[in-house]
Amino acid sequence: MMAPGRRGRIARRSVLIGAVIAASLLMEISGFLASAPGAHQEVSYATVHAMVPIVFAACAGVAWAIGPTDVPARLMVAFPLLWIPQTFYVVIEDLGWLWPLFRGVDLGWAVLTGILVLVYPRGGLADRTDRWIAGIAIVASVVNFGAVLLLATPSAVPCDCVPNVYQVADLPTVFGLVDVGYRIVGVGLALVIAGRLLVRWVRGSVPARTAAFLMPAALFAWATTLAVQALTYAAAVNTDIVLTTISLFAIASVPVCFVAGIAHVRNMRSRVADLMRITREGADRGLWAESLARTLRDDSVRVYWWDEERGRYADAAGVPIDSAETDPRSGHSILPVSSPTGNPIALIRHDRVLTDNMRLLDGVSSALRLSVDNGRLRSEIERTLEQVRQSRQRIVEAGVEARRRIERDLHDGAQQQLVSVGMRLRVASNQARELGDTALAEEIEETIGVLNQALKELRELAHGIHPSLLSSGGLSLAVPELAGRCTVPIEVDVQAEGRLPELVESTAYFAVAESLANVAKHSHATRGWVRAHVEGDELVLVVRDNGLGGASLDAGSGMLGIADRVDAVGGSLELESPPGAGTTITVRMPLGGALGDA
Amino acid sequence: MSEPDRPAALRVAIADDALLLREGIAKVLEDGGIEVVASVGTADELLEAVRDLDLDAAVLDIRMPPTHRDEGIVALEQLRAGGDQMGVLLLSMYATPEYALRVMGAGSGTGYLLKERVSEPQTLVRAVETVASGGSVVDPEVVEQLVHRTRADDPLARLTERERSVLELMAQGYSNGGIAQTLFLGLKTVETHVRSILQKLDLEESPEHHRRVLAVLTLLGAR
Repeated sequence: MMAPGRRGRIARRSVLIGAVIAASLLMEISGFLASAPGAHQEVSYATVHAMVPIVFAACAGVAWAIGPTDVPARLMVAFPLLWIPQTFYVVIEDLGWLWPLFRGVDLGWAVLTGILVLVYPRGGLADRTDRWIAGIAIVASVVNFGAVLLLATPSAVPCDCVPNVYQVADLPTVFGLVDVGYRIVGVGLALVIAGRLLVRWVRGSVPARTAAFLMPAALFAWATTLAVQALTYAAAVNTDIVLTTISLFAIASVPVCFVAGIAHVRNMRSRVADLMRITREGADRGLWAESLARTLRDDSVRVYWWDEERGRYADAAGVPIDSAETDPRSGHSILPVSSPTGNPIALIRHDRVLTDNMRLLDGVSSALRLSVDNGRLRSEIERTLEQVRQSRQRIVEAGVEARRRIERDLHDGAQQQLVSVGMRLRVASNQARELGDTALAEEIEETIGVLNQALKELRELAHGIHPSLLSSGGLSLAVPELAGRCTVPIEVDVQAEGRLPELVESTAYFAVAESLANVAKHSHATRGWVRAHVEGDELVLVVRDNGLGGASLDAGSGMLGIADRVDAVGGSLELESPPGAGTTITVRMPLGGALGDA
Repeated sequence: MSEPDRPAALRVAIADDALLLREGIAKVLEDGGIEVVASVGTADELLEAVRDLDLDAAVLDIRMPPTHRDEGIVALEQLRAGGDQMGVLLLSMYATPEYALRVMGAGSGTGYLLKERVSEPQTLVRAVETVASGGSVVDPEVVEQLVHRTRADDPLARLTERERSVLELMAQGYSNGGIAQTLFLGLKTVETHVRSILQKLDLEESPEHHRRVLAVLTLLGAR
């Protein structure tokens, strides 16, 4: 779907191109018809001459569509207007005010062509030298135009023209000097431009050199024929028709080379862009070599990846690089790709012909670097995340283990000792009684009472740290016991055959404990339900009440800690608590141990 | 509780991994006229002693090596599965109703007491004598926990204060005579209370003493 503005622009440009072609053909055809039959140029020559501006105008259309700027297209579309056939002067020989104007600009096409070559491929003048060249050409053209207008006589044009109405002086020598000098300057500039283009081409700074080689060739042909023409003009010798025809073809090839080069660069960029897109998703090494071969149109492409551990390059299958592969005599070149920090990433072995296409290889190695960097970052993040996950699970496991150890230490240590202290006190009190010291006996018995109270508290404490019932009986015993302690009546339904992984059991137990504590403390519920079912390979725990609702996983609530612990074993906790409609907490935990069994 | 009036002393084995307690229990029992013929640290050793020696009862810690979970109850269940009806008294650091139910569920002649009862020699000795004679013993703290459990539809609400006291003693394994003694009531009165309780709670009067305990505990433990 094209934007209306763009469609309008294309229409305007098409009309312009058509008008320019029409004007050009008008000049060609009218000139051909008007010239005396004897002086007729050959039809074939006239046809080739007429084709040149049409090629320029057509290339202007393409350049507008794909060119980097509008400059090349404008130069190309202006060309036909300045491509004035010598025969056309016969048509306007009676117009003394018009033919000098045409005569003044009839070498303008050469200036346009020179500038067109200069702006290749970027669509603008690259540096100060380019600007100097263009400036000299324009100044020379203006001087030439002035000289023609003020000094030219009908002898300066191939017709029986009426006198030049602008002529102010009859200085044929001066006019001749300017006329020939202008051509010599033109030839000189054309040679400079050709030289610069050649230098750029050799240095490889011109992208798409495979297509660009036509450009300097065309330019050389053109500059050479221009030089020959200029010399023959200066020597007033008749131009060789063959040489002239070759020069026409050379000129016509300039815009064609221009748009072909631009199109090639675009195509190449889109291929590198494709490569980026294909490999953005991940740095699958097999895919890389394949995509690279497609991008570079080179089936012999091999990618060798740097193996940090072994300190060598190896292909995607792990086969290390063969020294024969890097042998320059094999007809292949090696492109090393390294990370921004200079660490080696890979070697790309490719056909040596591709070395010419440095921009393409640059794009390819950038894509490779990006892709590898992306992949490395992603795997680093994944690895870090996995480490964090595992360490979090280990922390939770260690916490559970620590609680169990504390409970066991209490059970085997302090609790046993206090029990045995009670026993001894009993013996002592019995002895006191036997000895008749009733007061002491009573004192000791009171101490036993205090001791038993302490034991009871210690028992509760140890139970809260880690319920021994959970260790021995699992959820199916521990959850009903827990529910029995709740001040709100709780209906329990535990269907977990056999024992579950220890970490899952203890996480589930504390989730129920915390949930029931909340039910008792905050919900104002009159009933509660605990349901623990094994569904597939996960434990689904639902704690529900008919209370006020409005509970949340706030930082202050113990539920957040439970959610964290559930998360740590790879499970999920969902809290549903609309105001006035009770609270439902659903916990799901994988039994297979997404992160390894407890 | 059934009164032991055998002339010969009861022969008892003790299993507890805490040597200190084992010795203490042995001393308390011996002071109470019970003969301790074996004192071991694991359930397996106890089962061995049961095979080798002619025992009237065993006193077992619930948590013992190797797993420190419920070795004592497992040993009881193995004994009962093997047809051995000897008295078994289990001791635990915790008053866990679920364990009490499991112990009672194993059959008659079983008991479940808190370890700290060793500082009440009579309680311990009486418990051993009770289980040895096929009676049942449940620690009062377990019963207390069960009685105080919250229930959606509390059947205990239908009981009178006195009936509740009687129920608690029933759950602890007291016989009607024992209840009468403890509450200073006449045996007839107690029997009337028991009948009323069983009726109100929809429990069947069982000729077997331990079944009554189990039924009461199950009712209390149910939600």
